[in-house]
Amino acid sequence: MIQSVRRATAILLELGSGQRRLGVTELSDRLGLAKATVYGLLRALEADEMVQRDVESGKYRLGPVLLQLGNAFLEGHELRARSMLWADSLADRTEQAVRVGISMGSSILIVHHVFRPDTSVQILEVGATIPWHACALGKVMAAFRDDAELEQKLAGPLPRLTGRTLVDRRELERALERIRRDGVAIEDQEAIIGEAEIAAAVVDHAGHAVGAVGVVGPVERLLVDGFARPDLAGAVKQVARGLSRDMAGARVYERGR
Amino acid sequence: MSGGQGFGPQFVRRWVGRTAEGVHDQRDFLTQLDAAIGDADHGVNMDRGLFAAIAKLDASADDGTGQILETVGSTLVLSVGGAAGPLYGSAFRQMGRTLGDTETFDPEDLLSALRAGLEEIQRLGAATVGDKTIVDAYSPALDAFARGLRSGQAAEEAGARARAAAEEGMRSTIPMQARKGRASYLGARSIGHQDPGATSTAILFAALEQALDDRSDG
Repeated sequence: MIQSVRRATAILLELGSGQRRLGVTELSDRLGLAKATVYGLLRALEADEMVQRDVESGKYRLGPVLLQLGNAFLEGHELRARSMLWADSLADRTEQAVRVGISMGSSILIVHHVFRPDTSVQILEVGATIPWHACALGKVMAAFRDDAELEQKLAGPLPRLTGRTLVDRRELERALERIRRDGVAIEDQEAIIGEAEIAAAVVDHAGHAVGAVGVVGPVERLLVDGFARPDLAGAVKQVARGLSRDMAGARVYERGR
Repeated sequence: MSGGQGFGPQFVRRWVGRTAEGVHDQRDFLTQLDAAIGDADHGVNMDRGLFAAIAKLDASADDGTGQILETVGSTLVLSVGGAAGPLYGSAFRQMGRTLGDTETFDPEDLLSALRAGLEEIQRLGAATVGDKTIVDAYSPALDAFARGLRSGQAAEEAGARARAAAEEGMRSTIPMQARKGRASYLGARSIGHQDPGATSTAILFAALEQALDDRSDG
């Protein structure tokens, strides 16, 4: 039954957010499902190692198969695969960290991350999800989507991550207007204090954003008086154009076969 | 400088000095905490920033209270990477502006300055108690200091209360899921780890208690 697939998915999502070990009763309370139903689903998921049961506490947590699936997702992702060389060269040229993101619900999912080429300790952000309105990747993708999709995003929750996050709909619309004009989005400490990002959209043949690429780093290295450093903005746009061409070219080639 | 209830530039210097010592002693611990959920640079960055701030203070011995805090703040903003530099730096600058360069100030003025520092951190970071940040240690510490003074305690006693509250707040961050900063979008990874920012704030309040005690020693 399709319903059971949705319920099993809900269990996995619950185990993947916040508290990472949950018992049958906790899960049935959180999901509003009968305990017997939850138990049956957990047994099925456990059989395929999608979840694991902790022997001591009897609680459930996510299983190892999910790592395999996550890796398979990343390996099979076309934008990620095509962005590898571009991202490396962008990081080299700009001496900044580079991130590539795609849209996932009301967030941006980071699918590729190249560290800033220096000796500083950095943490891999592949798999991180950032609210779309709080990062340049998300804003530039939103600017190049059709009205219905954008409306849905603007009507959704706009959580405040820092004192500078744009949480007012009209303010965001003005920002998106500027992004369309400039072809590049900036984020000025809207997700993390002290950090900025400059991003451009990767678009398909119809001009729709399929992802975005950007440089991210300390605000004083990326922005001057709240504006993107022109050399960085230029490099980001160039890479986004190249990636867009690659993605479009692949389509044409596949169709022609 | 004679005891009494007045605070002045020497007191502020001692506070910053004690903070630098505390951060230096716990540098590796702070960095370890940050490795779990942040960029693993909190201890090293704060240590370097405070060292630089003290070097600047040593070079300008005649500065008034406001100027000292201003110098510390702007040095932290410039030399501490990540969110900690702007947050702590702006807080110190705001405290400096609140106190100004008056020759002496009293415990109530210190309370106002601490409050202004927290407000500045919250204005920048939009964090509240429970978000797993500096605020989780700072806010209860400030409340405890205010309560102590209001109940007629001497500044040293109120300072001890503030330190205890900051440490309790620091420990309260362990089971929390981060709702601000990088740790927040890395998902559940933050649960089970003490927040490095709340930890350095507890050091700041331990240093305040020490500076207050030093003062009563003469």
